[in-house]
Amino acid sequence: MNEINQPPQSVPPPPPQIPPVINGPRALGDDPAERIPIKNIIGVIEAVLRQPRRLLFQLRQPGAGRLIGGMLLASLICGLVYGLIIGSFSGAEQWWAAPIKFTGGLLISALICLPSLYIFAGLSGSTARLGEIFGLVAGLLLLMTVLLIGFAPVAWLFSQSTNSVLWMGFLHLMFWFVATAFGLRFLDAGFRQTNARSGAGLKTWTVIFVLVVLQMSTALRPLVGRADTFLPTEKKFFLAHWGDCLEDQGQNDQSHSRR
Amino acid sequence: MHALDQELKSDSTGIASLLRGEAESMHDWLHGVDALRLARELGVILIGSGCYGAAMGWWRSPEQALFVAIKFPLIILLTTLGNALLNAMLAPLLGLNLTLQQTLRAVLMSFTISSAIMGAFSPLIAFMVWNAPAMAAKNISGTTYNFILLTHVMVIALAGITGNVRLFQLLSRLGGSRAIARRVLFAWLAGNLFFGSQLTWILRPFIGSPTLPVEFFRESALRGNFFEAVFRSLLQIFHSN
Repeated sequence: MNEINQPPQSVPPPPPQIPPVINGPRALGDDPAERIPIKNIIGVIEAVLRQPRRLLFQLRQPGAGRLIGGMLLASLICGLVYGLIIGSFSGAEQWWAAPIKFTGGLLISALICLPSLYIFAGLSGSTARLGEIFGLVAGLLLLMTVLLIGFAPVAWLFSQSTNSVLWMGFLHLMFWFVATAFGLRFLDAGFRQTNARSGAGLKTWTVIFVLVVLQMSTALRPLVGRADTFLPTEKKFFLAHWGDCLEDQGQNDQSHSRR
Repeated sequence: MHALDQELKSDSTGIASLLRGEAESMHDWLHGVDALRLARELGVILIGSGCYGAAMGWWRSPEQALFVAIKFPLIILLTTLGNALLNAMLAPLLGLNLTLQQTLRAVLMSFTISSAIMGAFSPLIAFMVWNAPAMAAKNISGTTYNFILLTHVMVIALAGITGNVRLFQLLSRLGGSRAIARRVLFAWLAGNLFFGSQLTWILRPFIGSPTLPVEFFRESALRGNFFEAVFRSLLQIFHSN
Protein backbone atom coordinates (compact mmCIF):
# COMPACT_ATOMS: atom_id res chain seq x y z
CA MET A 1 0.00 0.00 0.00
CA ASN A 2 1.30 3.42 -0.84
CA GLU A 3 0.95 6.56 1.24
CA ILE A 4 -2.40 6.55 2.99
CA ASN A 5 -2.59 10.28 3.71
CA GLN A 6 -0.44 13.28 3.02
CA PRO A 7 1.76 15.15 5.54
CA PRO A 8 0.31 18.49 6.58
CA GLN A 9 3.33 20.57 5.32
CA SER A 10 6.86 20.35 6.72
CA VAL A 11 7.53 17.36 8.96
CA PRO A 12 10.11 17.68 11.76
CA PRO A 13 12.24 14.61 12.55
CA PRO A 14 10.63 12.14 14.97
CA PRO A 15 11.94 11.72 18.53
CA PRO A 16 13.30 8.26 19.33
CA GLN A 17 10.40 7.18 21.54
CA ILE A 18 6.85 8.37 21.83
CA PRO A 19 5.05 8.08 25.15
CA PRO A 20 2.02 5.81 24.80
CA VAL A 21 -0.16 8.09 26.96
CA ILE A 22 -3.38 8.69 25.06
CA ASN A 23 -5.50 10.54 27.55
CA GLY A 24 -3.07 13.38 28.21
CA PRO A 25 -4.15 17.01 28.33
CA ARG A 26 -2.16 17.92 25.17
CA ALA A 27 -4.00 18.65 21.95
CA LEU A 28 -3.58 16.12 19.15
CA GLY A 29 -0.68 17.01 16.87
CA ASP A 30 1.25 18.96 19.53
CA ASP A 31 3.95 16.33 19.33
CA PRO A 32 5.65 16.56 15.91
CA ALA A 33 5.80 12.75 15.78
CA GLU A 34 2.02 12.63 15.67
CA ARG A 35 2.09 14.56 12.39
CA ILE A 36 4.10 11.92 10.55
CA PRO A 37 1.76 10.21 8.08
CA ILE A 38 1.14 6.48 8.39
CA LYS A 39 2.30 4.79 5.23
CA ASN A 40 1.25 1.14 5.27
CA ILE A 41 -0.65 -1.55 7.14
CA ILE A 42 2.32 -2.43 9.34
CA GLY A 43 2.54 1.26 10.24
CA VAL A 44 -1.16 1.28 11.12
CA ILE A 45 -0.73 -1.72 13.44
CA GLU A 46 2.39 -0.19 15.02
CA ALA A 47 0.56 3.08 15.54
CA VAL A 48 -2.53 1.59 17.17
CA LEU A 49 -0.31 -0.26 19.65
CA ARG A 50 2.43 2.29 20.31
CA GLN A 51 1.30 5.68 19.06
CA PRO A 52 -2.49 5.86 19.37
CA ARG A 53 -2.40 9.67 19.49
CA ARG A 54 -0.66 9.67 16.12
CA LEU A 55 -3.43 7.51 14.70
CA LEU A 56 -6.11 9.74 16.24
CA PHE A 57 -4.45 12.83 14.75
CA GLN A 58 -4.15 11.25 11.31
CA LEU A 59 -7.83 10.25 11.41
CA ARG A 60 -8.71 13.96 11.56
CA GLN A 61 -6.65 14.89 8.53
CA PRO A 62 -8.01 15.26 4.98
CA GLY A 63 -7.75 11.99 3.10
CA ALA A 64 -8.21 9.86 6.25
CA GLY A 65 -10.44 7.56 4.20
CA ARG A 66 -7.45 5.60 2.93
CA LEU A 67 -6.14 5.26 6.46
CA ILE A 68 -9.51 3.94 7.61
CA GLY A 69 -9.51 1.54 4.64
CA GLY A 70 -6.08 0.32 5.72
CA MET A 71 -7.30 -0.17 9.28
CA LEU A 72 -10.30 -2.17 8.11
CA LEU A 73 -8.14 -4.29 5.82
CA ALA A 74 -5.73 -5.03 8.67
CA SER A 75 -8.70 -5.90 10.94
CA LEU A 76 -10.05 -8.21 8.26
CA ILE A 77 -6.74 -10.05 7.89
CA CYS A 78 -6.18 -10.34 11.66
CA GLY A 79 -9.81 -11.45 12.14
CA LEU A 80 -9.47 -14.16 9.51
CA VAL A 81 -6.25 -15.43 11.09
CA TYR A 82 -7.84 -15.63 14.53
CA GLY A 83 -10.90 -17.25 12.94
CA LEU A 84 -8.60 -19.98 11.59
CA ILE A 85 -7.41 -20.63 15.13
CA ILE A 86 -11.04 -20.92 16.27
CA GLY A 87 -11.73 -23.30 13.38
CA SER A 88 -8.69 -25.45 14.20
CA PHE A 89 -10.59 -26.84 17.21
CA SER A 90 -13.14 -28.69 15.07
CA GLY A 91 -11.40 -28.82 11.69
CA ALA A 92 -13.42 -29.98 8.64
CA GLU A 93 -15.79 -27.26 7.36
CA GLN A 94 -14.93 -25.03 10.34
CA TRP A 95 -11.53 -24.27 8.75
CA TRP A 96 -13.34 -21.89 6.42
CA ALA A 97 -16.64 -21.30 8.25
CA ALA A 98 -15.16 -20.05 11.54
CA PRO A 99 -12.91 -17.35 9.96
CA ILE A 100 -15.80 -16.08 7.82
CA LYS A 101 -18.29 -16.10 10.70
CA PHE A 102 -15.89 -14.54 13.20
CA THR A 103 -14.66 -11.74 10.94
CA GLY A 104 -18.01 -11.14 9.29
CA GLY A 105 -19.80 -11.11 12.65
CA LEU A 106 -17.40 -8.58 14.10
CA LEU A 107 -17.61 -6.25 11.09
CA ILE A 108 -21.40 -6.49 10.87
CA SER A 109 -21.73 -5.82 14.62
CA ALA A 110 -19.57 -2.71 14.27
CA LEU A 111 -21.61 -1.56 11.29
CA ILE A 112 -24.89 -2.12 13.13
CA CYS A 113 -23.64 -0.12 16.12
CA LEU A 114 -22.04 2.72 14.12
CA PRO A 115 -25.17 4.90 13.74
CA SER A 116 -25.98 4.68 17.46
CA LEU A 117 -22.42 5.71 18.33
CA TYR A 118 -22.78 8.75 16.08
CA ILE A 119 -26.05 9.68 17.80
CA PHE A 120 -24.62 9.16 21.30
CA ALA A 121 -21.56 11.21 20.34
CA GLY A 122 -23.82 14.04 19.22
CA LEU A 123 -25.90 13.83 22.40
CA SER A 124 -22.68 14.00 24.44
CA GLY A 125 -21.73 17.27 22.74
CA SER A 126 -19.06 15.74 20.50
CA THR A 127 -18.14 17.66 17.36
CA ALA A 128 -16.94 14.54 15.53
CA ARG A 129 -18.10 13.93 11.95
CA LEU A 130 -19.44 10.54 10.90
CA GLY A 131 -16.15 9.80 9.09
CA GLU A 132 -14.23 10.43 12.29
CA ILE A 133 -16.53 8.17 14.30
CA PHE A 134 -16.14 5.53 11.59
CA GLY A 135 -12.36 5.86 11.96
CA LEU A 136 -12.60 5.39 15.73
CA VAL A 137 -14.69 2.23 15.28
CA ALA A 138 -12.15 0.98 12.72
CA GLY A 139 -9.45 1.61 15.36
CA LEU A 140 -11.48 -0.34 17.91
CA LEU A 141 -11.77 -3.30 15.52
CA LEU A 142 -8.10 -3.12 14.60
CA LEU A 143 -6.84 -3.10 18.18
CA MET A 144 -9.21 -5.93 19.11
CA THR A 145 -8.19 -8.19 16.25
CA VAL A 146 -4.46 -7.41 16.56
CA LEU A 147 -4.57 -8.30 20.25
CA LEU A 148 -6.43 -11.50 19.42
CA ILE A 149 -3.51 -12.43 17.16
CA GLY A 150 -1.31 -12.07 20.25
CA PHE A 151 -3.57 -14.55 22.03
CA ALA A 152 -3.59 -16.91 19.03
CA PRO A 153 -0.70 -19.22 20.12
CA VAL A 154 -2.33 -19.73 23.52
CA ALA A 155 -5.76 -20.35 21.94
CA TRP A 156 -4.24 -22.80 19.44
CA LEU A 157 -2.48 -24.80 22.17
CA PHE A 158 -5.69 -25.14 24.15
CA SER A 159 -7.75 -25.99 21.06
CA GLN A 160 -5.40 -28.93 20.38
CA SER A 161 -5.59 -30.28 23.91
CA THR A 162 -9.24 -30.26 24.86
CA ASN A 163 -12.47 -31.69 23.51
CA SER A 164 -14.72 -29.43 25.53
CA VAL A 165 -16.66 -27.01 23.33
CA LEU A 166 -17.76 -25.15 26.46
CA TRP A 167 -14.20 -24.63 27.64
CA MET A 168 -12.99 -23.40 24.23
CA GLY A 169 -15.97 -21.09 23.92
CA PHE A 170 -15.23 -19.66 27.35
CA LEU A 171 -11.55 -19.21 26.49
CA HIS A 172 -12.26 -17.36 23.23
CA LEU A 173 -14.82 -15.22 25.03
CA MET A 174 -12.29 -14.34 27.71
CA PHE A 175 -9.67 -13.34 25.10
CA TRP A 176 -12.32 -11.35 23.24
CA PHE A 177 -13.25 -9.48 26.46
CA VAL A 178 -9.61 -8.53 27.13
CA ALA A 179 -9.11 -7.39 23.52
CA THR A 180 -12.38 -5.45 23.59
CA ALA A 181 -11.41 -3.69 26.82
CA PHE A 182 -8.24 -2.36 25.17
CA GLY A 183 -10.13 -1.50 21.99
CA LEU A 184 -12.74 0.47 23.94
CA ARG A 185 -9.95 2.33 25.73
CA PHE A 186 -8.73 3.51 22.34
CA LEU A 187 -12.26 4.53 21.39
CA ASP A 188 -12.66 6.42 24.66
CA ALA A 189 -9.37 8.26 24.09
CA GLY A 190 -10.54 9.30 20.63
CA PHE A 191 -13.95 10.28 21.97
CA ARG A 192 -12.35 12.63 24.51
CA GLN A 193 -10.63 14.47 21.68
CA THR A 194 -13.96 15.32 20.06
CA ASN A 195 -15.01 17.85 22.75
CA ALA A 196 -17.58 15.46 24.24
CA ARG A 197 -18.97 16.95 27.46
CA SER A 198 -20.00 13.61 28.95
CA GLY A 199 -18.85 10.02 28.75
CA ALA A 200 -22.29 8.59 29.55
CA GLY A 201 -23.19 8.21 25.89
CA LEU A 202 -20.07 6.20 25.14
CA LYS A 203 -20.61 4.02 28.21
CA THR A 204 -24.14 3.24 27.07
CA TRP A 205 -22.89 2.48 23.57
CA THR A 206 -20.21 0.17 25.00
CA VAL A 207 -22.91 -1.93 26.67
CA ILE A 208 -24.87 -2.03 23.42
CA PHE A 209 -21.81 -3.04 21.38
CA VAL A 210 -20.85 -5.85 23.76
CA LEU A 211 -24.43 -7.19 23.76
CA VAL A 212 -24.61 -7.04 19.96
CA VAL A 213 -21.34 -8.97 19.51
CA LEU A 214 -22.37 -11.59 22.07
CA GLN A 215 -25.72 -12.05 20.34
CA MET A 216 -23.96 -12.15 16.95
CA SER A 217 -21.79 -15.02 18.20
CA THR A 218 -25.00 -16.90 19.04
CA ALA A 219 -26.75 -15.98 15.80
CA LEU A 220 -23.78 -17.29 13.79
CA ARG A 221 -23.23 -20.40 15.92
CA PRO A 222 -21.43 -22.68 15.95
CA LEU A 223 -18.14 -20.79 15.92
CA VAL A 224 -16.61 -23.51 18.10
CA GLY A 225 -17.74 -27.10 17.49
CA ARG A 226 -19.64 -28.50 14.52
CA ALA A 227 -23.21 -28.49 13.20
CA ASP A 228 -25.13 -29.87 10.23
CA THR A 229 -25.93 -26.43 8.85
CA PHE A 230 -23.79 -23.33 8.24
CA LEU A 231 -26.21 -21.18 10.25
CA PRO A 232 -28.44 -22.30 13.13
CA THR A 233 -32.02 -23.32 12.42
CA GLU A 234 -33.27 -22.27 15.86
CA LYS A 235 -33.22 -18.66 17.09
CA LYS A 236 -31.94 -18.12 20.62
CA PHE A 237 -30.89 -15.29 22.92
CA PHE A 238 -27.22 -15.65 23.87
CA LEU A 239 -27.92 -16.21 27.59
CA ALA A 240 -30.33 -19.03 26.75
CA HIS A 241 -27.70 -20.56 24.42
CA TRP A 242 -25.02 -20.43 27.12
CA GLY A 243 -27.45 -21.95 29.63
CA ASP A 244 -28.12 -24.85 27.23
CA CYS A 245 -24.37 -25.36 26.69
CA LEU A 246 -23.74 -25.49 30.44
CA GLU A 247 -26.56 -27.98 30.86
CA ASP A 248 -25.18 -30.22 28.08
CA GLN A 249 -21.72 -30.13 29.65
CA GLY A 250 -23.17 -31.02 33.06
CA GLN A 251 -24.97 -34.02 31.55
CA ASN A 252 -21.76 -35.13 29.81
CA ASP A 253 -19.82 -34.85 33.08
CA GLN A 254 -22.44 -36.93 34.89
CA SER A 255 -22.39 -39.67 32.26
CA HIS A 256 -18.54 -39.70 32.43
CA SER A 257 -18.54 -40.04 36.21
CA ARG A 258 -21.10 -42.89 36.04
CA ARG A 259 -18.77 -44.75 33.70
CA MET B 1 44.21 -2.74 38.91
CA HIS B 2 43.68 -3.05 35.16
CA ALA B 3 43.03 -6.76 35.53
CA LEU B 4 40.47 -6.05 38.25
CA ASP B 5 38.71 -3.53 36.00
CA GLN B 6 38.63 -6.06 33.19
CA GLU B 7 37.26 -8.71 35.52
CA LEU B 8 34.54 -6.38 36.78
CA LYS B 9 33.68 -5.37 33.24
CA SER B 10 33.36 -8.94 32.03
CA ASP B 11 31.34 -9.82 35.11
CA SER B 12 28.97 -6.92 34.51
CA THR B 13 27.81 -8.61 31.31
CA GLY B 14 27.42 -11.97 33.03
CA ILE B 15 24.79 -13.81 35.00
CA ALA B 16 26.17 -12.59 38.33
CA SER B 17 25.22 -9.02 37.46
CA LEU B 18 21.68 -10.17 36.67
CA LEU B 19 21.46 -11.98 40.00
CA ARG B 20 22.67 -8.85 41.78
CA GLY B 21 20.04 -6.89 39.91
CA GLU B 22 22.50 -4.32 38.53
CA ALA B 23 20.15 -1.94 36.82
CA GLU B 24 22.78 -0.52 34.48
CA SER B 25 23.76 -3.93 33.17
CA MET B 26 20.16 -5.03 32.67
CA HIS B 27 19.31 -1.77 30.93
CA ASP B 28 22.34 -2.02 28.59
CA TRP B 29 21.44 -5.60 27.73
CA LEU B 30 17.94 -4.62 26.74
CA HIS B 31 19.06 -1.80 24.48
CA GLY B 32 22.11 -3.35 22.87
CA VAL B 33 22.80 -6.28 20.58
CA ASP B 34 25.06 -8.87 22.17
CA ALA B 35 24.89 -12.34 20.65
CA LEU B 36 27.37 -13.73 23.16
CA ARG B 37 25.26 -12.62 26.09
CA LEU B 38 22.13 -14.05 24.48
CA ALA B 39 23.91 -17.37 23.95
CA ARG B 40 25.08 -17.28 27.57
CA GLU B 41 21.54 -16.69 28.82
CA LEU B 42 20.16 -19.50 26.69
CA GLY B 43 22.97 -21.70 28.01
CA VAL B 44 22.02 -20.88 31.61
CA ILE B 45 18.37 -21.73 30.89
CA LEU B 46 19.27 -25.01 29.19
CA ILE B 47 21.78 -26.10 31.80
CA GLY B 48 20.20 -24.60 34.93
CA SER B 49 16.62 -25.73 34.42
CA GLY B 50 17.82 -28.92 32.67
CA CYS B 51 19.91 -29.96 35.69
CA TYR B 52 17.01 -29.20 38.00
CA GLY B 53 14.70 -31.26 35.81
CA ALA B 54 17.19 -34.14 35.83
CA ALA B 55 17.36 -34.04 39.62
CA MET B 56 13.57 -34.02 39.81
CA GLY B 57 13.08 -36.98 37.48
CA TRP B 58 15.94 -39.02 38.92
CA TRP B 59 13.80 -40.25 41.83
CA ARG B 60 11.68 -42.24 39.35
CA SER B 61 14.47 -43.45 37.00
CA PRO B 62 17.49 -42.22 34.99
CA GLU B 63 15.33 -42.25 31.86
CA GLN B 64 12.76 -40.01 33.56
CA ALA B 65 15.65 -37.72 34.62
CA LEU B 66 16.67 -37.34 30.97
CA PHE B 67 13.10 -36.62 29.88
CA VAL B 68 12.53 -33.96 32.54
CA ALA B 69 15.94 -32.41 31.79
CA ILE B 70 14.63 -31.80 28.28
CA LYS B 71 11.11 -30.79 29.33
CA PHE B 72 12.03 -28.02 31.79
CA PRO B 73 14.00 -25.82 29.35
CA LEU B 74 11.43 -26.64 26.66
CA ILE B 75 8.60 -25.24 28.80
CA ILE B 76 10.57 -22.06 29.54
CA LEU B 77 11.51 -21.43 25.91
CA LEU B 78 8.07 -22.30 24.51
CA THR B 79 6.34 -20.06 27.05
CA THR B 80 8.69 -17.19 26.19
CA LEU B 81 8.16 -17.60 22.45
CA GLY B 82 4.46 -18.42 22.59
CA ASN B 83 3.62 -15.28 24.53
CA ALA B 84 6.23 -13.02 22.90
CA LEU B 85 3.80 -11.32 20.55
CA LEU B 86 1.13 -10.85 23.20
CA ASN B 87 3.62 -9.50 25.73
CA ALA B 88 5.04 -7.09 23.14
CA MET B 89 1.51 -5.82 22.40
CA LEU B 90 0.52 -5.48 26.05
CA ALA B 91 3.61 -3.51 27.12
CA PRO B 92 2.94 -0.37 25.02
CA LEU B 93 -0.79 -0.59 25.69
CA LEU B 94 -0.05 -0.52 29.42
CA GLY B 95 2.37 2.39 29.14
CA LEU B 96 5.78 0.88 28.41
CA ASN B 97 7.07 1.35 24.89
CA LEU B 98 9.14 -1.79 24.38
CA THR B 99 9.85 -3.52 21.07
CA LEU B 100 9.22 -7.21 20.48
CA GLN B 101 12.95 -7.88 20.79
CA GLN B 102 13.23 -5.94 24.05
CA THR B 103 10.19 -7.73 25.47
CA LEU B 104 11.67 -11.09 24.58
CA ARG B 105 14.99 -10.19 26.19
CA ALA B 106 13.33 -8.90 29.35
CA VAL B 107 11.29 -12.09 29.79
CA LEU B 108 14.29 -14.23 28.88
CA MET B 109 16.34 -12.37 31.48
CA SER B 110 13.88 -13.19 34.25
CA PHE B 111 13.81 -16.84 33.17
CA THR B 112 17.63 -16.86 33.11
CA ILE B 113 17.72 -15.72 36.73
CA SER B 114 15.12 -18.34 37.71
CA SER B 115 17.03 -21.06 35.83
CA ALA B 116 20.31 -20.07 37.46
CA ILE B 117 18.69 -20.41 40.88
CA MET B 118 17.12 -23.75 39.96
CA GLY B 119 20.46 -24.93 38.58
CA ALA B 120 22.17 -23.94 41.81
CA PHE B 121 19.64 -25.95 43.80
CA SER B 122 19.83 -29.03 41.59
CA PRO B 123 22.75 -30.65 43.51
CA LEU B 124 20.76 -30.22 46.71
CA ILE B 125 17.70 -31.78 45.12
CA ALA B 126 19.82 -34.62 43.74
CA PHE B 127 21.26 -35.17 47.24
CA MET B 128 17.75 -35.22 48.69
CA VAL B 129 16.57 -37.73 46.08
CA TRP B 130 19.66 -39.90 46.64
CA ASN B 131 18.83 -40.04 50.35
CA ALA B 132 15.15 -40.76 49.75
CA PRO B 133 13.87 -44.36 49.70
CA ALA B 134 13.31 -45.64 46.16
CA MET B 135 10.06 -44.53 44.59
CA ALA B 136 7.47 -47.23 45.23
CA ALA B 137 3.73 -47.45 45.23
CA LYS B 138 3.57 -47.37 49.03
CA ASN B 139 5.45 -44.07 49.42
CA ILE B 140 3.97 -41.93 46.65
CA SER B 141 1.32 -40.73 49.08
CA GLY B 142 3.48 -40.80 52.20
CA THR B 143 5.77 -38.36 54.01
CA THR B 144 8.72 -38.76 51.64
CA TYR B 145 6.68 -37.95 48.58
CA ASN B 146 5.07 -34.96 50.26
CA PHE B 147 8.42 -33.69 51.51
CA ILE B 148 10.00 -33.94 48.04
CA LEU B 149 6.97 -32.27 46.47
CA LEU B 150 7.04 -29.44 49.00
CA THR B 151 10.77 -28.91 48.44
CA HIS B 152 10.21 -28.61 44.69
CA VAL B 153 7.39 -26.12 45.24
CA MET B 154 9.59 -24.02 47.51
CA VAL B 155 12.63 -24.00 45.21
CA ILE B 156 10.60 -23.25 42.08
CA ALA B 157 8.66 -20.54 43.93
CA LEU B 158 11.92 -18.96 45.14
CA ALA B 159 13.34 -19.04 41.60
CA GLY B 160 10.15 -17.64 40.09
CA ILE B 161 9.73 -14.87 42.65
CA THR B 162 13.37 -13.78 42.37
CA GLY B 163 13.22 -13.70 38.56
CA ASN B 164 10.08 -11.60 38.67
CA VAL B 165 11.43 -9.21 41.31
CA ARG B 166 14.40 -8.51 39.02
CA LEU B 167 12.05 -8.11 36.07
CA PHE B 168 9.97 -5.65 38.08
CA GLN B 169 13.09 -3.62 38.90
CA LEU B 170 14.01 -3.52 35.22
CA LEU B 171 10.51 -2.53 34.13
CA SER B 172 10.34 0.20 36.82
CA ARG B 173 13.58 1.65 35.51
CA LEU B 174 12.46 1.50 31.88
CA GLY B 175 8.98 2.91 32.53
CA GLY B 176 10.06 5.41 35.16
CA SER B 177 7.07 4.40 37.26
CA ARG B 178 6.38 1.54 39.62
CA ALA B 179 2.68 1.64 38.72
CA ILE B 180 3.40 1.04 35.02
CA ALA B 181 5.93 -1.68 35.88
CA ARG B 182 3.36 -3.38 38.12
CA ARG B 183 0.71 -3.30 35.40
CA VAL B 184 3.03 -4.70 32.74
CA LEU B 185 4.50 -7.36 35.02
CA PHE B 186 1.03 -8.48 36.14
CA ALA B 187 -0.18 -8.77 32.53
CA TRP B 188 2.95 -10.69 31.46
CA LEU B 189 2.75 -12.96 34.49
CA ALA B 190 -0.91 -13.72 33.90
CA GLY B 191 -0.22 -14.65 30.25
CA ASN B 192 2.88 -16.69 31.04
CA LEU B 193 1.20 -18.57 33.89
CA PHE B 194 -1.84 -19.33 31.75
CA PHE B 195 0.20 -20.62 28.80
CA GLY B 196 2.91 -22.23 30.95
CA SER B 197 0.36 -24.17 33.02
CA GLN B 198 -1.07 -25.78 29.92
CA LEU B 199 2.38 -26.58 28.48
CA THR B 200 3.32 -28.17 31.79
CA TRP B 201 0.08 -30.17 31.71
CA ILE B 202 0.82 -31.45 28.20
CA LEU B 203 4.42 -32.35 29.06
CA ARG B 204 3.59 -34.20 32.29
CA PRO B 205 4.84 -36.38 34.08
CA PHE B 206 7.73 -34.68 35.87
CA ILE B 207 8.26 -36.49 39.14
CA GLY B 208 6.69 -39.64 37.71
CA SER B 209 4.77 -42.44 39.32
CA PRO B 210 5.93 -45.99 40.17
CA THR B 211 2.61 -47.37 38.94
CA LEU B 212 2.88 -45.80 35.48
CA PRO B 213 5.51 -46.44 32.78
CA VAL B 214 8.30 -43.92 32.16
CA GLU B 215 7.40 -41.96 29.04
CA PHE B 216 8.06 -38.55 27.54
CA PHE B 217 4.38 -37.80 26.86
CA ARG B 218 1.48 -39.53 28.54
CA GLU B 219 -0.98 -41.10 26.18
CA SER B 220 -3.55 -38.58 27.40
CA ALA B 221 -1.21 -35.57 26.93
CA LEU B 222 -3.53 -33.81 24.53
CA ARG B 223 -6.74 -34.85 26.24
CA GLY B 224 -8.23 -32.21 28.54
CA ASN B 225 -6.40 -29.24 29.97
CA PHE B 226 -4.93 -28.03 33.22
CA PHE B 227 -7.81 -25.73 34.13
CA GLU B 228 -10.48 -28.31 33.34
CA ALA B 229 -8.64 -30.75 35.63
CA VAL B 230 -8.51 -28.17 38.44
CA PHE B 231 -12.19 -27.42 37.94
CA ARG B 232 -13.14 -31.10 38.02
CA SER B 233 -11.03 -31.66 41.17
CA LEU B 234 -12.80 -28.76 42.87
CA LEU B 235 -16.17 -30.16 41.86
CA GLN B 236 -15.21 -33.56 43.29
CA ILE B 237 -14.15 -31.95 46.58
CA PHE B 238 -17.45 -30.11 46.90
CA HIS B 239 -19.51 -33.14 45.88
CA SER B 240 -17.71 -35.43 48.34
CA ASN B 241 -18.39 -32.94 51.16
